Amino acid sequence: MVINMNNAVEVENLRKVYEMHKRNGFFRRTKAEVVSVDNVNFSVPEGQALAFVGPNGAGKSTTIRMLTGILTPSAGYARVLGYVPWKERSHMAYHIGAVFGQRSQLWYHLPASDTFDLLAKIYNLDKVEYRKRRDELVDRFRLGPLLDVPVRKLSLGQRMRAEVAASLLHKPRLLLLDEPTIGLDIHAKQQLRELVSEWNRKEGLTVFLTSHDTGDIENVAERVIIINHGRLVLDDSVENLRRQYEGLSLEEALSHIYGLEVESEETEDVPELQAVG
Amino acid sequence: MWNKFTNYLELAASYFRFNTKAQLEYRTAFISQALAMFVNDCLWLAYFVMLFERFPVVKGWEAVDVATLWAVTAAGFGIAHCLFGNALALPRIIARGELDAWLLYPRALLPHIVLGRMNASAFGDCLFGFVIYVVMVHPDWQHLLLFTLLTLSVALLFLGFSVLSGSLSFYLGNADTLCENWRHGLIAFSTYPIELFDGKCKWLLYTVLPAAYISGFPIDALRKLSLIDALYSFLGALSVVSLAIVVFNHGLKRYESGNMVGMRG
Amino acid sequence: MNCLSKYWAIAVTSAKSNLAYAGEIGSRLCFLGIILFIFMQLWKAIFANANVAQFQGYTLEEIIWYLAITECIMLSSPRVTPLIDEDVRTGAITVQLVRPMSYPLYRLASNLGEQAVRFAVTVASAGSIALLLVGPPSNFGLGLACVLLALPLALVLDFLGYLLVGLFAFWCEDTSGLALIYSRLTMVAGGMLMPLDLFPEAFQSLLKGLPFGYIVSGPARQFVHPDPTGLGALLGFQILWIVVLALVVAFVYSKALKRIALNGG
Repeated sequence: MVINMNNAVEVENLRKVYEMHKRNGFFRRTKAEVVSVDNVNFSVPEGQALAFVGPNGAGKSTTIRMLTGILTPSAGYARVLGYVPWKERSHMAYHIGAVFGQRSQLWYHLPASDTFDLLAKIYNLDKVEYRKRRDELVDRFRLGPLLDVPVRKLSLGQRMRAEVAASLLHKPRLLLLDEPTIGLDIHAKQQLRELVSEWNRKEGLTVFLTSHDTGDIENVAERVIIINHGRLVLDDSVENLRRQYEGLSLEEALSHIYGLEVESEETEDVPELQAVG
Repeated sequence: MWNKFTNYLELAASYFRFNTKAQLEYRTAFISQALAMFVNDCLWLAYFVMLFERFPVVKGWEAVDVATLWAVTAAGFGIAHCLFGNALALPRIIARGELDAWLLYPRALLPHIVLGRMNASAFGDCLFGFVIYVVMVHPDWQHLLLFTLLTLSVALLFLGFSVLSGSLSFYLGNADTLCENWRHGLIAFSTYPIELFDGKCKWLLYTVLPAAYISGFPIDALRKLSLIDALYSFLGALSVVSLAIVVFNHGLKRYESGNMVGMRG
Repeated sequence: MNCLSKYWAIAVTSAKSNLAYAGEIGSRLCFLGIILFIFMQLWKAIFANANVAQFQGYTLEEIIWYLAITECIMLSSPRVTPLIDEDVRTGAITVQLVRPMSYPLYRLASNLGEQAVRFAVTVASAGSIALLLVGPPSNFGLGLACVLLALPLALVLDFLGYLLVGLFAFWCEDTSGLALIYSRLTMVAGGMLMPLDLFPEAFQSLLKGLPFGYIVSGPARQFVHPDPTGLGALLGFQILWIVVLALVVAFVYSKALKRIALNGG
């Protein structure tokens, strides 16, 4: 096993099997195993912007939960910024940032600046450096006039800008973005994508993006990994993908790829559901 | 008139079937919520029985009377909000403009709304009421019959009161807090013997906080097996319901004419 | 040091955030007035019927002040179980776990910050209502000092109980039923409605072996009957129960984390 120190994320033969309880009858339950992630391999060099996509239930969020250390894999190996996530989660936490489009980390009734101050404490930031960093982020994310407005009064686009800025305060080396533009209007989407992209290019921030919005993928990522039924089905640069499916939109290309996968599945034994009890 | 009445009974029955089916989808949650409320009521009752046995709270009152009081109140409240689960959610439904969805139905609005949901914990209240009455009071069949009728009367009153207090939202915007205070006030008063209160306060309990028709007349009716007290209970409940219907429909007209400010955004 | 300032900052932020609600918290307290009024009537009747000036050293005035304090403790207790339920159900727990802090300590800090604000608002209303009903408390200065010393650990203990209930969200869909029963136990077995000394002797020894009395009755008793020796014992029992519950919480939480690690929650 070769560990490349320049990789932000390394994943080898990662596998996760869930035990599920299925209900049949009034109180009876039977156990079943569900393979959610099946021998996945990939690595992400530092500074790359990667889109990690797939249809619902493909194993995306299971993979992310393993990479953030919340879920322990059934088999395989992963390193994130040199840490084994499920063993060293609290150390790793100081170096990654996360934005989940559906759930806010900002305190709803307080201005964003209060959450920023709190995050500085949570991440043990040095006072002087924190102020410098905050001012820089406020400037680049154009948050100046919004900083002292209670978060509940911000528009969704403004709020998401503040969310991303908040997740960058502690200078993470890796930023996880989960559906960051969900619900935003076209203008706000574009603004957010540009900011993330800019930070990725200028600061060398590694970006790990999951999204159903092909616009996010095209505008932010240089590389795409597609996962379906728990397996990697494609790992290529966005450019190559575009070339290969010339004449089709990325959206059409993706649905084509998802569709292909379903067809080939049907000829094999379906490994996903095995009753065990 | 009679046709219309049976028509609505049919509507209620079909809603009941539908809601029961929906609840059975989440039977663990339903059972645990109902059970929790049952245990909760038992804890309260145990406390009050102890209090009444230890201290001379009201002359002539014993454990059986306390149990009767709690059984009537809980069963009535339970029946009302188990079958008409949305009655409690009315202020929010109105304030958030969610009435629009119901306005599309071809029939009278109010029955549809209040029947729209079933409340699991209220089912626990209802169960508690009947179980406690049978177990602690050992009623003969006349008492049990009267008890059942009186719980219907109390249920009617609670339903009317919930609709009435919820309709405040038509006039005051989101009246959730006010409404909640008012309801809690009624519930609080109706779990104590009416004899505790005197003078001006008693007057309030026949009008603004109509607890007298929950913990007053029905209890007397059961203790003395007196039909006249039972009749008073029903009259009180009917007046509250009539008032509720009038106020709701008046408020609804305001809603439909779009005269409410800062709503339906 | 760094670690402590982290959680202090969370508590302060939570308190600040809840100041925005202070008005709303206050407006929910009409109910408190009703409850205290009913208790007043109840105990007035008890004292009059028994024709005594005090029970176990408690006068009517002292009982009302006692109730005012217990109501403050119970009503200011933030609802932490629905928050944990929601964190688990929606997966928001993921966001909390990728931060360099402990989730239970984060909830504790945030809870105490919120409760500080709620308690301040509640005590202002309850205090003025009690003042109106029975006049100023005897022993105000010493009582205040004692209750202030007894409160912080009581609130931590209360939180640990709710946290334990909330952690069951990792195993069952909905902890609201358990939370209801727990809160009712705190009220009844904790002596919210009556000092533990007034319970029948058989109950007293049982209740003193449970943690609830050290959350509710213990501190409130210090306000009306301040007693430095008793306070020392109270603090001792609070610490003992905090240690016990903290160990149980730590055990259950580590099980919960293992469960998510295996099954994703």
